[in-house]
Amino acid sequence: MKFADFINTKAIRAELKAVSKEEVIQELVQSLLDAGQIEADQKDDIISAIMKREELGSTGIGRGVAVPHTKHPSVQKLVGTVGVSSEGVDFDSLDGERVQLFFLLISPPERPGDHLRALENISRQLRDENFCRFLKQSKTPEDISQLLQEADDNQFVSG
Amino acid sequence: MRILVLGAGTVGRWIADMLCRRRHSVIVVDHDPHNVRRINSELDVRAIEGNASQSTVLFQADVCGADICLAVTGDDEVNIVAASMAKALGTRRSIARVYAPAFRDLSTFDYQRHFNIDSILSLEQLTAYELTRAIRNPDAIPLEHFARGQLEVYEMEVAGKSSAAGEKLRDLKIPGGVRIGSLAREGRMWIASGEDELHSGDRVSLVGMPDAVAKARVLFGGSSERTSKKRVMIAGGGETGYHLAGSLSPHDYRIVMLEQDVDRCEHLSKLLPNVTVIKANANRRSILEDEGAGTVDHFVACTGNDESNIMSGVEARELGAARVMCVVGRPDYANVVGKLGIDRAVSERDVLARQVLGFLNEGSVISQRRLPNGEIAVYELEIVEGSQVTDATLAELPFAGRCLIAAIQRDGFVRVPRADDQLKPGDIVVALVDQASTEECLSMFNVA
Repeated sequence: MKFADFINTKAIRAELKAVSKEEVIQELVQSLLDAGQIEADQKDDIISAIMKREELGSTGIGRGVAVPHTKHPSVQKLVGTVGVSSEGVDFDSLDGERVQLFFLLISPPERPGDHLRALENISRQLRDENFCRFLKQSKTPEDISQLLQEADDNQFVSG
Repeated sequence: MRILVLGAGTVGRWIADMLCRRRHSVIVVDHDPHNVRRINSELDVRAIEGNASQSTVLFQADVCGADICLAVTGDDEVNIVAASMAKALGTRRSIARVYAPAFRDLSTFDYQRHFNIDSILSLEQLTAYELTRAIRNPDAIPLEHFARGQLEVYEMEVAGKSSAAGEKLRDLKIPGGVRIGSLAREGRMWIASGEDELHSGDRVSLVGMPDAVAKARVLFGGSSERTSKKRVMIAGGGETGYHLAGSLSPHDYRIVMLEQDVDRCEHLSKLLPNVTVIKANANRRSILEDEGAGTVDHFVACTGNDESNIMSGVEARELGAARVMCVVGRPDYANVVGKLGIDRAVSERDVLARQVLGFLNEGSVISQRRLPNGEIAVYELEIVEGSQVTDATLAELPFAGRCLIAAIQRDGFVRVPRADDQLKPGDIVVALVDQASTEECLSMFNVA
């Protein structure tokens, strides 16, 4: 699976304003709403589902990256967005580091395979130090989207 | 029925004994030879020594011909693996008990679906629901146990001044995500249908997702209704205490929780922003006194230790708590708690036993429970290929007043259906069924 298959370029946010975990999630879910990817009346429910998942254990996977996610019946296909915070946000990550790079995913429950493949794709691509660093340094959504494109074209990790 | 019980701890042993006394054929598996010897000599069941997650052991225990497999060892992973294997090897229904909440969350990985287990249960959560029910309203429809615990049932009286009084149900503007389940008037309770007219003084039960239920309540309450919040003190902030506090609405209850562990306190205060979490030992009389245990409406002890629960329960009673409940695991203690002035003892064994009895069914019925007054039963039903109920929308099915689909669970998510919804094979529904027409209604779910 490629980033292009699930990251909506219109929803990508560089320079996140959020300073807390909940604000980051709100800002990114709002970005998906603005991009027409989710229904307005489902927004709050999606946010609380993602927060509930965080309560079980942070999705901050270390090295300044977090992948908040949930399954939700209101989406027809896997939708996702990327957010970058230049200051970093305390996300209760395992390694205690502030998180600068966020991948937020919402997937329909009846397609658990897609959901897992997207998570796998993110973590595989992020293994590349340069890709990870360039993303965190991005100042515009266009930069981020171009980096994702390059990753999809296998310019960072092979395979 | 043929039942396989994996794990002969307090819970497994109790269940095996209960099922055996009800004349089911029970086989128990446990890895401890001492336990196995004891069971073989004391109970009328066959006990086998071995690891429940090994295929050879399960095979010896006749897993292929079992109706139900209950995996209740002390180890979450063993329970999941064993329950999954049992199902794959031919057991009709398999149930795994787990402790860790992650196994019941499906946002990252859906264990229940992946391992093809019919039900992954947390005894701590089930115990919490039992306590919640006892606090809220013991006679209300016990739906909290169904549909992975995502539904709420709220029973309330229709106030004379409310906008709903005098209206037919079909004319009420009830928010989506809520249905009226039952109506009770003059000692009689029945399944609500669109033609019913509400009178002031009726008791209605609202079934739905918690937020939607809270919104719908204003339709039925009088505008001036503002009763004061009940006060609840919970001793022990483990899984049971956490679920209990989480399922009591902050609109109706003011909750104080006592927990000894500092880190757990901090964690709880984040998860439960409306609950006052105090780092304290609930066994100390002075602490109970200082924190006001004597003035609460409900005192619940669920520290994870029977003796502590009983002790703090007795202290709270003496200080003046109005109603005292304790979680008591040991069967031989259950006898004395009543004599000590504790109003109610809840045990994980009993909670699971009730749950298991609900699973002893044929056909599309997964579980069932009768309401206390006996006129309505709640069924959890599996929708199978070719059953009549999949042929039409809910509104078109001949169910009015006899059967109400309160919730549909599809792909692990629960929602309250609308009239134009249609059931699909693979769905699980929670249905309220009128006792008098049980047979007719259930036949619609089975394949002719």
